[in-house]
Amino acid sequence: MTTPADTQWELYEVFHQKARGEHHVHVGAVHASSPAMALVLAKEQYARRLACVNLWVVRARDITASDYADADMFEHATDKSYREAFGYRVVKKVRGIEARGEHEAES
Amino acid sequence: MEDTTALKTLLFQLADDELIIGHRDAEWTGHGPILEADIAFSSMAQDELGHAQVYYGLLHDLGETEPDRLAFLRAAADFRCAHLVELPNGDWAFSSVRQFLYDAAETVRLAALAGSSFAPLAQAARKFAGEEKYHLLHGRTWMQQLGQAGGESRVRLQAALDQAYPYALGLFEPTDAEAALAARGLKPPEAELQGHWEALTRPVLAEAGLTPPKAAPVYGGRRGQHTPHLAALLADMQLVFRSDPEASW
Repeated sequence: MTTPADTQWELYEVFHQKARGEHHVHVGAVHASSPAMALVLAKEQYARRLACVNLWVVRARDITASDYADADMFEHATDKSYREAFGYRVVKKVRGIEARGEHEAES
Repeated sequence: MEDTTALKTLLFQLADDELIIGHRDAEWTGHGPILEADIAFSSMAQDELGHAQVYYGLLHDLGETEPDRLAFLRAAADFRCAHLVELPNGDWAFSSVRQFLYDAAETVRLAALAGSSFAPLAQAARKFAGEEKYHLLHGRTWMQQLGQAGGESRVRLQAALDQAYPYALGLFEPTDAEAALAARGLKPPEAELQGHWEALTRPVLAEAGLTPPKAAPVYGGRRGQHTPHLAALLADMQLVFRSDPEASW
């Protein structure tokens, strides 16, 4: 099977920041002719409903990615649940604060 | 009671420009060159219609009928929009140039109106500034893209600029209310705004490799004299509302 030629502009991945100090979160992609155009188009694509203070656009071909064929390297051969943080009491406390925060944001 | 004739003249031209350009932009929905550009143009159409609604609301507060009735029940001769916004969309080059020239004019107009002595208008102008900043960035980016691409792209963009420019100058057509508006600190004279507009647009056009034509402005819109395109647009835009003006939506 052959993939049809992509006649669109280059692909840019879009990262959205909800408030200063928070992480930029990947929200999708746009086709654009330049980084400047990607920002212009991403604004209406991904920030017309969500609150936003900052956008990043990154040319998709500039991203270095792992191969899905190597997905087995992420698997754990033995039990490594000791790495997970749910054993710590503080997690419960943090989740509680988070839950209350979300509740306040919704009301 | 204070005479609001001059203020209403100003508000009608502001509202009608926004309503008609907003309708034209909305005609691109589903027809843009690529999906992303289509969505951006459609969103800007919503911004412009939102501004129109606010201006019609201010007119309503001054004793005019409801915003919907102002938009959907007036005839072409009652509209005070400039011819620039009435013209059909043409190709993407024409729509992009028209939008850029229009948004640059709106930018300088809003900056001036932010200091208007009519507080509700000054407040609205300050509120619209953010949306307009984006519109101008959008327009400038398209001018750079299409102009700097060279070849057919630049040729068509220059042709669109030659066509749109005299109409864009018509955005600054002075009305009988000019002197009263300036004297009362409601709005600076149109000639002053046009100067700011030229200072804002020229570097962007030059950067895109474009030369504005030496052209006389096309006037008439601010006095209710319009191209036949406006009546055709209104027939389409007002059809549903006019089918039952008393219906509640």
